[in-house]
Amino acid sequence: MTPQPRWIRSIRALFALAVVAILGLSGTLSAQAVSYDPITGTGSTWSQNALDQWRKNVASNYGMTVNYSGVGSSAGRRDFVAGNVDFAVSEIPFQTAPEDGSAPEVPSRGYAYMPIVAGGTSFMYNLKINGSRVSNLRLSGEVITKIFTGVITKWNDPAIQTDNPGLKMPDKGIVPVVRSDGSGSTAQFSLWMSKQYNSLWGQFCVKVGKPASCGLTSQYPTYGNAKAQSGSAGVAGYVSQDYGEGAITYVEYSYALKAGFPVAKVLNNAGYYVEPTANSVAVALLQAKIKTDVPVTSPDYLTQILDGVYNNTDPRTYPLSSYSYMIVPTEVGGVFTAKKGLTLGAFANYMLCEGQQQAAALGYSPLPMNLVLAGFDQIKRVPGADVSGVDINNCNNPTFKAGDSPSSNQLATSALQPAACDKVGTSQCVTGTAGATDDTATTGTGTGGSAATADTAAATAAAAGAGAGAAATTANAAAAGTGGAAAAVYDENGALVSGGTGGTVSTGVAGSAVASPFTLADNGWGAQQSIMLFAGVLLIGSAVLPPVLWRRLKPRAPKAGNK
Amino acid sequence: MPISSLVSPPLGDSPLGDAFGADPAVFDPSSPDSRPRRSLVSRPSISDSVFRSVAFSAGTITVLIMLAVGVFLSLRAGDALGVAGVNFLFEQDWSPETKKFGIASVLFGTITIAVIAMCVAVPLALGTALLISEVAQGRLKATLVTLVDLMAAVPSVVFGLWGVFFLQANVIPVATWISTYFGWIPFFSVTDATGQALTEASAFTSSAFIAGIVVGLMVVPTQTSVMREAFSQAPIGEREAAFALGSTRWGMITSVVLPFGRGGIIGGTMLGLGRALGETIAVYMIISPIFTINWEVLKTGTNSVSALIALRYGESSSFGLSALMAAGLVLFLITLVINFTASSIVARSRSGAESD
Repeated sequence: MTPQPRWIRSIRALFALAVVAILGLSGTLSAQAVSYDPITGTGSTWSQNALDQWRKNVASNYGMTVNYSGVGSSAGRRDFVAGNVDFAVSEIPFQTAPEDGSAPEVPSRGYAYMPIVAGGTSFMYNLKINGSRVSNLRLSGEVITKIFTGVITKWNDPAIQTDNPGLKMPDKGIVPVVRSDGSGSTAQFSLWMSKQYNSLWGQFCVKVGKPASCGLTSQYPTYGNAKAQSGSAGVAGYVSQDYGEGAITYVEYSYALKAGFPVAKVLNNAGYYVEPTANSVAVALLQAKIKTDVPVTSPDYLTQILDGVYNNTDPRTYPLSSYSYMIVPTEVGGVFTAKKGLTLGAFANYMLCEGQQQAAALGYSPLPMNLVLAGFDQIKRVPGADVSGVDINNCNNPTFKAGDSPSSNQLATSALQPAACDKVGTSQCVTGTAGATDDTATTGTGTGGSAATADTAAATAAAAGAGAGAAATTANAAAAGTGGAAAAVYDENGALVSGGTGGTVSTGVAGSAVASPFTLADNGWGAQQSIMLFAGVLLIGSAVLPPVLWRRLKPRAPKAGNK
Repeated sequence: MPISSLVSPPLGDSPLGDAFGADPAVFDPSSPDSRPRRSLVSRPSISDSVFRSVAFSAGTITVLIMLAVGVFLSLRAGDALGVAGVNFLFEQDWSPETKKFGIASVLFGTITIAVIAMCVAVPLALGTALLISEVAQGRLKATLVTLVDLMAAVPSVVFGLWGVFFLQANVIPVATWISTYFGWIPFFSVTDATGQALTEASAFTSSAFIAGIVVGLMVVPTQTSVMREAFSQAPIGEREAAFALGSTRWGMITSVVLPFGRGGIIGGTMLGLGRALGETIAVYMIISPIFTINWEVLKTGTNSVSALIALRYGESSSFGLSALMAAGLVLFLITLVINFTASSIVARSRSGAESD
């Protein structure tokens, strides 16, 4: 044990240095943060990306410590009820009559809802056609519901193919990825399905052993081929892995941006497939009914009713848009004190104004003026909050300029009309979505030729690329040459592809190589297996042979000596 | 081992020395003037009695806390167990809202994960312990000990993240290979509802196999240190005797170290098993929870009691919570039994009685 003091000593020295450094840092930090007590909150992972950015900003700019852990909206609301946290973040309000018959959530201290950010629940997917990533998938609401209720299980289902005339959908199983923990995203998504596709959702409820009118749920039931993962990062992480090919999940748009993955454009009531950008979310939420007809002290004040959003007929609408709420205490109680109220008020004021500048870049949509004003009212109810800085004229929020009317939204007025190729029909834009924008021009994953009407050059380039890809796949090298033969294999899909533009139908062949190679494992004794066997024999040999040979070789020497 | 042998004699010596020093005065019958006989009951010094009471109360409190956990769990579980009755052990579904819930599938998943973890961990831990105690010398030995201890200090959420974002993608080809060539063994096959073999990567994700590997790696350090300690206590005389009789190092290990350390091996394994059964966060992050018994360990979908509690705790009604408590109680009892057995085996082996 004695030989190591030197390196132990050096490790000790390093450790001591690190401790000193940490102490020094925390010393300077606490010197800055004289005026703000740290506050702690839990809840939604849907809006966690925005909150994390804001937390970082207030920590470096104002020396404010805001702790937040994304444990899911359900757990966040429970923590708030128990009084363990200063604030909670949730997509849905406290459930006074939870539909699964569990006890109502009733916080003991007073509380208020304050909207913090808007966003679109998006459908992030991982899909490849001939080895190149699809980034322009389009889905209608009914198809999405059928995917997440186990009615549609294959990517080449005729309904999906109809939504995507420009893609030759592969014969691959869909892996829906749902949340395994109690989640506000699940609640928002299931609420949308239960309102818009009531019969499909009802059938699903019955299938998983619930009453037919099961409405919104925070716990997604597992079914069929679905995978359940915990947290938004968990589901997004699953989809973005290599083994996630064929997977689709519901998650906030910012997670897809961060992961560099595309999201599905969703069909709105005006017949356009729209991506959940900041603008399309802002347009959609113009139709959100925010409860302001009840007194400010009512627990329902500012809660959202989204039926108008789902059915908004503006062509720029993303139908699954919603607000996320911070639940703030209006009474001192639990761990919450008036000193913490000062921090909470300042942080909330930062979020509603300055923080919204970054919302769009993070994948969210900034709050409009009316909600900022309403949020200000809520800040004023937080005990201990300093309201002197809360002023709409000093509010640097991108959705309004000084002197605007509260009901207008600069983002909505500046939102562009969707491209013609995004309309229901035979054309399909080739541009990528969300985090996969870089791939756009070259992917041309739209193997079907109809592609963008705007940019035929890109479409033909894409078609050429797809042809080359097909030639490279050994499984169907012959088929690639003769387009008609392979098209006959997938006749029902071929028919749909030819419905696009006749000229480039032959590229439809490319899809034929997708599904079959994986199922050929039964007769697979090839070079790889031989090498593995050889390696195994070598491994065993290296362990067994030395002692055996050693004994064989050893006796000879004494024998020789004896002679 | 050198340290303990150096340190122990002085500790053992001093009380003995005191006793001998006191003896003649007490037991001298020939002394003419008979002073009042000294009591044979030793009167503890103040420091002794303080130490005694602190040690006693610490021990008592530990036991009391554990009993309190058990009592609390049983009380809170009473509601749910009263409704479910004995069916609680045989029902697979988990739906306290409809009063149809049981831990058959959850417990099955817990045990599969733990068994797989043991298959991974025991050979690794045994090999590492032997390497450290018998083969490695000097600085290498100290470094290895530090590394193993460091591995024990890695938080389980880090293991979970590593499992999800790195290991899973790399284990899928292995799982596919096993299911392709050993699919004729029932629990290695991966089939869909119709019995058709599956080969897509998505059929192999989030399985008990992957969770088991990660949990196995987490319990390796625990097992290694228990086994190493047992091995290092193999008597030096017997080791040298084995060498003197012409044994190779391997011969010495098989004839002296392993028989002597058998208790340590069993004890370490069971301690690791106890931890594997209760592991929460890494399992929670990896598995895709299902509520049916899945015999195909390579196939996606499994469950575990602790992951179930972590997942459902936030969302439960008071009755649902009671059901979760009942599940926790079962896990508590199983872990308790395993740990008691393990510690009694370890304790027995330390006496050296098993070296033959």
